[in-house]
Amino acid sequence: MPEPAERSGRTDVGLGRILVLVYGIFALSATGRSSVQLAQKAEEAPLAYGLSAFAAVLYIVATWCLAKPGSTTTRLAWLAVGVELVGVLVVGTLTVLDPELFPDDTVWSGFGSGYGFVPVVLPFLGLAWLRRTTGSPFSGTPTPR
Amino acid sequence: MIDPLQTGLIAGSLLLAALAAVYVALDRLADRLLLVVLAVLELGLLVQAVAGTVQVASDNPGVNAVVFVGYLLGALLFLPAATVWALGEPSRAGTAALIVVGLVVPVLILRIEQIWTAPGA
Repeated sequence: MPEPAERSGRTDVGLGRILVLVYGIFALSATGRSSVQLAQKAEEAPLAYGLSAFAAVLYIVATWCLAKPGSTTTRLAWLAVGVELVGVLVVGTLTVLDPELFPDDTVWSGFGSGYGFVPVVLPFLGLAWLRRTTGSPFSGTPTPR
Repeated sequence: MIDPLQTGLIAGSLLLAALAAVYVALDRLADRLLLVVLAVLELGLLVQAVAGTVQVASDNPGVNAVVFVGYLLGALLFLPAATVWALGEPSRAGTAALIVVGLVVPVLILRIEQIWTAPGA
């Protein structure tokens, strides 16, 4: 397997190939789910459905930016995956403490229990991968070769 | 609406995942055999989409038709997108991506079945 050199800036090769695919699957699933929810019953649970849509956007941005590494997209990937981590932890904790908070499930409810807990693991993998391939979000992003 | 087709699709997807795993283990790149399996699966999903849409239109047991058809059509996107992405990098990791999608398709089919049998869920 051609492993990308450490800090090559290439988030889209090697194990990144698999990571981007998983992000893409979530982008597709979350987009489908939230657009149906918003179109059919937006007034029932605006917060939960708005959150689903927000998660969908994050997954799309993360998928795209990990798949197309560059100085801007890699920064955006750090941001999207970072916000995703905060989102899944906050929403996961809130929904465990108070299940009534969101009347309908979101992708992050119960730390992603409806999706085999992949949503809570994914941002950790994403950040670890970004760190390995691009260093730190503040250290200047290596340009992909 | 679980029927022989869906059982076959689940088995076929798991077969794809297993086959891709063997390829990864042997360090073999995706070849025509793997592509044929992918194409046959996609064809089966297309038949499922058509049959499911006809079924929900003619004899709806109270399911949310938009969600149901949305899943049927959405399920068609996974294999082609994953295939293009996986073949974009002819490597072990590229082939390994096909294992992931082979494991995701059965989940989609079970979800479709769940929507059909438990309206409102």
